[in-house]
Amino acid sequence: MTTDSSTGAPPTTEVTAFPPTGAHPIVEAPPNSTVTSPPAAAALRPTGVTPPPAQSARSRTTERVIGALALVGTVATVWLGLWVTPPDAVQGDLVRLVYIHPGVAWVALYLAFGLAAVSSVLYLWPRTRALFWDRLAAAAVEVGVVFNVCTLVSGSIWGKPTWGVWWAWDARLTSTAVLLVLFLGYLALRRVPAEPEVRARRSAFVALFAAIDIPIVHFSVDWWNTLHQGATVLNPGLTLKIHGSMAWTLLLGFVALTLVFVWMLLVRYRVGVLEDWLASNELDLALAERQSEGTDPDGASPSSRVGVA
Amino acid sequence: MRYIIAGYVVVLAVLFFYAVSLVWRRRRLARAVARVAGAGAPLPTPVAPGGGS
Repeated sequence: MTTDSSTGAPPTTEVTAFPPTGAHPIVEAPPNSTVTSPPAAAALRPTGVTPPPAQSARSRTTERVIGALALVGTVATVWLGLWVTPPDAVQGDLVRLVYIHPGVAWVALYLAFGLAAVSSVLYLWPRTRALFWDRLAAAAVEVGVVFNVCTLVSGSIWGKPTWGVWWAWDARLTSTAVLLVLFLGYLALRRVPAEPEVRARRSAFVALFAAIDIPIVHFSVDWWNTLHQGATVLNPGLTLKIHGSMAWTLLLGFVALTLVFVWMLLVRYRVGVLEDWLASNELDLALAERQSEGTDPDGASPSSRVGVA
Repeated sequence: MRYIIAGYVVVLAVLFFYAVSLVWRRRRLARAVARVAGAGAPLPTPVAPGGGS
């Protein structure tokens, strides 16, 4: 059974269904069947494979525009953060790390893992169930894990000169590390062989379980007395605690890293589509080729001879 | 200042190499898809049961 790579609708592989009884078209004919068609083996072979839906020109253009904007935004953030903005009165030059650290954390925690949680709910909801949501969640989690690693590393590099240690078992740091481990588990689970629907369902449950940690990470600085400072932007009053060129650079960093995330998500989603298509079609083709190897030159397959006998 | 440079270098390097790996994976898979789809194309046209055309 094959499934459409983009919509989840079966099937995309154009296979000559013979015998037309709903049985898998590539498996051998049942022993008691009477297959009399001369080129029976040919009838059991796939007649052609429908390639996965090609990426439209508009989609490619959108992807390139987003990629270019992400690159320009990131370069501008680095330039403003390292050379233009002034040092902070308290933190000195270390404040320059703040222009990227909250940005990567925003992408990982809220965009990537939040999107994965929403996509998982939409997959589990019967009325919206489609493999599209499963692929979107998988793509978001993989990109989110990369950003989560960047969050922990950049925070650790900021923490060493500020707190004097690379790591502290602080509530915010620990809950963020737990989030990383949970979503690494999600990615590991997806590599366990299973039918696409089974994999999607169990992955969705794991994503929702892992997502419980997202609000814990966010509110950890309010719920516990932590070393980590409170939110600079996403605080309860949504009031910026940073001003002037420093505020604009911080916000530009958020926008640029969001664009980086969107671009990566688009590419990673396409990778998922191609992977699923290959997984569902390579086996069919291999079976068909194997079937054709046992075919006589006149086209009669061993299975058909058994059926006739 | 070395901590700042280290922070920027690590974050940008991780994102850059992940982006490169994504593009590489997509190209490799696209080639594999073209190969598999091409392998299916030349197989013979089926004949309906009973010898019909």
